[in-house]
Amino acid sequence: MAIVTFEAATRTYPNSHRPAVDGLDLEVRDGEFLVLVGPSGCGKTTTLRMLAGLENVDAGDISIDGKSVVNLAPRDRDIAMVFQNYALYPHMSVAQNMGFALRMAKVPKSEIDERVRAAAKILDIEEYLERKPRQLSGGQRQRVAMGRAIVRQPRVFLMDEPLSNLDAKLRVATRAEIAALQRNLGVTTLYVTHDQVEAMTMGDRVAVMKDGVLQQCDTPRALYDEPANVFVGGFIGSPSMNLLEGTVGDGGVRLGSTVIPVTESLPIPVGAPVTVGLRPESLALAPAGGGIPARVSMVEELGAEAFVHARPADGVGMAQNAESMIVARFEPRTAPATGELIHLRAKDGSMLLFDASSGDRIRARS
Amino acid sequence: MALSRRHAMHLVVLAILLVFTAFFFVPIIWLFLAPTKTDGQLLTESPFAFGSLSTLAHTFHRIVTYSGYSVLIWLKNSAIYSFGGTALAVLAAIPAGYALALTHFIGRRVLLAITLVVMIMPATALVLPLFLEINKLGLYGTIWALILPFGFFPFGVYLTYIYFSATIPKDLLAAARIDGAGEWRVFWHIALPLARPIVALVGFFAFVASWNNFFLPFVMTYDSSQYPIQIGLQQLIGSTASFNPANYSAGSSIVVLHRPDLAMAVIIAIAPVLLVFLFAQRSLVTGMLAGATKE
Repeated sequence: MAIVTFEAATRTYPNSHRPAVDGLDLEVRDGEFLVLVGPSGCGKTTTLRMLAGLENVDAGDISIDGKSVVNLAPRDRDIAMVFQNYALYPHMSVAQNMGFALRMAKVPKSEIDERVRAAAKILDIEEYLERKPRQLSGGQRQRVAMGRAIVRQPRVFLMDEPLSNLDAKLRVATRAEIAALQRNLGVTTLYVTHDQVEAMTMGDRVAVMKDGVLQQCDTPRALYDEPANVFVGGFIGSPSMNLLEGTVGDGGVRLGSTVIPVTESLPIPVGAPVTVGLRPESLALAPAGGGIPARVSMVEELGAEAFVHARPADGVGMAQNAESMIVARFEPRTAPATGELIHLRAKDGSMLLFDASSGDRIRARS
Repeated sequence: MALSRRHAMHLVVLAILLVFTAFFFVPIIWLFLAPTKTDGQLLTESPFAFGSLSTLAHTFHRIVTYSGYSVLIWLKNSAIYSFGGTALAVLAAIPAGYALALTHFIGRRVLLAITLVVMIMPATALVLPLFLEINKLGLYGTIWALILPFGFFPFGVYLTYIYFSATIPKDLLAAARIDGAGEWRVFWHIALPLARPIVALVGFFAFVASWNNFFLPFVMTYDSSQYPIQIGLQQLIGSTASFNPANYSAGSSIVVLHRPDLAMAVIIAIAPVLLVFLFAQRSLVTGMLAGATKE
């Protein structure tokens, strides 16, 4: 049970000008499962290692339950960590691996045995207790690494991409198990992943990072519906949000020759460029003559749904750094054929607008 | 055609290999056969002729009993110096290599560079200053004069450094630190148990270096009772009639040694190193780390 607070926490690696983590302000609530997500090099693992005490904090502060931990050694922080490569002690049995921290804390041997056995039971690895890590499969090793963390009953769990070494099927199953386990134990957890699906399915809240800077921290639903900027909008969701170049017109946003009406008045002048965000499921076929014209170049028929990839025509441009195709979701068996020229419209209230230069969200709905 | 040509090439390569093998093995074979012969037989018979087992037993007896069992005393001295030196070398080199590879401290890179530089320096270059130092400390003539210098074993430090940098994932140590281990316990409970192959290797090299060292004991010892076997061998050469005829005029009461005796002494001197090698080899088991992390 603990609250973790980052206050303007900054880490700059030696021989680097740009901070790996730059002025991070973040609070992990008591018992919360908070996921840090972002592309590689965004500073999420550095953030975790700063909390663990494996990286220095160059500026700012990190505290657990109101007490600063930046000057404490890792062993004095009462945290447990699951590493991406598990980092099991190869010369120790599973039981010894799980009991190592208790042994270091001079817990009586009978109590160590009891707690190891209890944790092994939860994780269903009782029959492997006497084995060495090299005699286990990847999934079993992952469980032992989890077991080593929960045996300690720490204040905070730290997990650094613990599922990335598992195959796809096992990853999905373990994802649900870890989330359920965390909810049962109620231990405050900071979880790092680069996989936005993992982040959305596991986290109570998700913190999105980019270039060492926190972009947004909110519930998965809010991140999806109300992204703070164009990066979060594009990063969260699969397939990604369509990002198009538009200009502010009178009473709406102009995309090529199409105008998408906006009911509220926009806080930016007419003629200013904006980035228009439309999720694949926000698009629908428009009657001929209206909407965004696009030529279908590929159809992904997935059974329960279909995704149409289409190249925009008639002067409609995709935003910089975005995909070159518009992706639209269709009900199965209703998708247009490859090569067909279609017209797409935004469903009411589904368009998101971003400042074309800063990328910040412009709060207005169509 | 192509086949026979390849055949011919094979034969040429085989011939070259055989010539070199013979070149290196002939002296060893000669050495092991020499004690089975008398000095006269050694000169007149074929180099590869086997003398007799009784001659071998006789030679062995002569060399072991020579000058009041001196050879056994020298072997014992060598064993004391070498085991002491090896213990000290391992005690110093393993933690030093570990610290250079897996911890952070000010001056780490400089120390690593110095380790490399002194590793290249010949050990004999340090013997004279070491002598002066040992003398000032009042340790001249004690066993410490031959053991303490082996606490400085840069080659062992470097081997250990390479081993720890290459085989132990840093996350393993980070896991132990988070699990509540301090720096000393991280080394003792995690790094050291995984370092058995390198402890054996460094120990073996230190043992061989100490056992075969000549110049250091040559300078540091002054009495035959302190000699290690390598210095003893040199004294035996001085006692061999055919190498040093002037000292052994007819009628002298000193026991005169012959070349087969000397060959026997050499075999006795290298036997312990062979034994230690067989012992250490068993500990050089690799694969200890399989399963530590998922590759």
